[in-house]
Amino acid sequence: MMEWIQFIATAVCLLAGVFAFAVAVIGVARFEFVLNRLHAAGVGDTLGIFLIVLGCVIAAGFSLDALKLVLLIFFMWFTSPVSTHYVAQVEYFTNRQLEKYVRFIGEAENGSDTDGDS
Amino acid sequence: MNKSRFLSWLYGETDVMEDILELDETSDESREQLKREKRRLRRELLRSGRAKKVIGAETKGFYALYHVVAVVSCIMLIGVLLFAVANLPRYGEENPETTEMVARYVEKGVEETGADNIVAGMILDYRAFDTLGESHVLFTALICVTILLRLDRKNMRKTYEDYYAIRGERFHDISREAIMRNVAAVLVPCIFVFGIYVLLNGQNGPGGGFSGGAVMGAAMIIFSAAFGFDKADRVFSKRLGAWVTFAALSFYSAAKGYVFFTGANHLENHIPKGTPGAILSGGLILPLDIAVGMVVAFTMYGFYNLFMRGK
Amino acid sequence: MVLTLTEILKILLLVLLVVCAVSVNLTKSLLQAVIIFLSYSSVMCILWVLMESPDLAITEAAVGAGISGTLFLLTLRRLRAVDDIEEGGEDGK
Repeated sequence: MMEWIQFIATAVCLLAGVFAFAVAVIGVARFEFVLNRLHAAGVGDTLGIFLIVLGCVIAAGFSLDALKLVLLIFFMWFTSPVSTHYVAQVEYFTNRQLEKYVRFIGEAENGSDTDGDS
Repeated sequence: MNKSRFLSWLYGETDVMEDILELDETSDESREQLKREKRRLRRELLRSGRAKKVIGAETKGFYALYHVVAVVSCIMLIGVLLFAVANLPRYGEENPETTEMVARYVEKGVEETGADNIVAGMILDYRAFDTLGESHVLFTALICVTILLRLDRKNMRKTYEDYYAIRGERFHDISREAIMRNVAAVLVPCIFVFGIYVLLNGQNGPGGGFSGGAVMGAAMIIFSAAFGFDKADRVFSKRLGAWVTFAALSFYSAAKGYVFFTGANHLENHIPKGTPGAILSGGLILPLDIAVGMVVAFTMYGFYNLFMRGK
Repeated sequence: MVLTLTEILKILLLVLLVVCAVSVNLTKSLLQAVIIFLSYSSVMCILWVLMESPDLAITEAAVGAGISGTLFLLTLRRLRAVDDIEEGGEDGK
């Protein structure tokens, strides 16, 4: 009985993780603007990784492997949002046609300098 | 006078080549002008289709020959490689001509080297000269990069902004941002601990000098990127890197020289093998791993440092 | 001949490796070539693990996918290749 619960929980987590990754891949392929694609990729990087590693933790049971997998989630959640943030920042600073795609809330009416740099 | 000048060169304070080598001393304005000129010329060249036609007519024969030669040489290379692959022995097949050494390594490796990890025993005991050569290759590469992108006192500027100003680039300081600094403050100790674990565990499990040193070098790169060069210079300065690399390579050569000398003359070397599996085992493998790891870590960090701020 | 799941995974990864290696050559943009090369290193890292040589896998992950990527991108910036891409795109449009 216990093994069946473990198996079903693992399967649900893995399938949900695969679904999250599928959404991320479709989003990266279909969106046109960089920031939208980054948003889609970020879903896969955090939610997908979390669900798949959670499934592996449940499958591994109570052992050292499970601890290592939890540490994996910890490090992935530390690093991948930061890298996503910096890619988005590079886009924000270097794209000169940003106004075509992005509506700046609060600054659009004032007509102030939206570049942020220089 | 002469001696003190030599000493000051040794410590990296002055540069003997400073007045001999000619460096291009273009100011920021003239560089901008050059860039504008280049862009204008390129645009004009692209706009006039006539120029393209003239160039095309002149070089048509050459390009045809070029393509033919490229395709033929690629096909020949692929053929030779495929022929070599077809003549390789099958995966895992017994072949006494080529697996004589392998059988010896597998059967007597643990006994002779004292290391559980046969790969570490091979690269740092049976074939230690290979690894010594690799370390020297890395060291030589670092020297070459230092010569090419060197920082002497004339080009040396103190702050982070100035390194960008030298090359006339737009400056955005990542090290003043809270996100990068806080994340690096959590991550860098973890990466360092992992690197030291990989480094010290080379004789028992996967890992060893090269991979552990590369992980530690990556940690140093993250530290330098997150906290800025002036803070990183306080911990891993250029002089410290030079001395550590020098000491590690000298130690490696001396230790392996001792072992080869005693081994060739059938003398007893007084290096205990230890029990396989313990952290202090494998004879000379652990110290040699540490030496190689130091060389690799400081070389990687030195590459990053010179690429980032050199002229 | 029955293929196990590991062998199917190995074959898929090898195909991906060949695709990466060919597309590095066929890409016009240097930045994209560098990124594809990094993915080549990651695939190679997984293949080393599957071929049971974790020593090489650790080295490939640290050097191939980590440090050499940093050095390649720094070199591109030093050559101003990234700037040129941006300018070329603007000129083209």
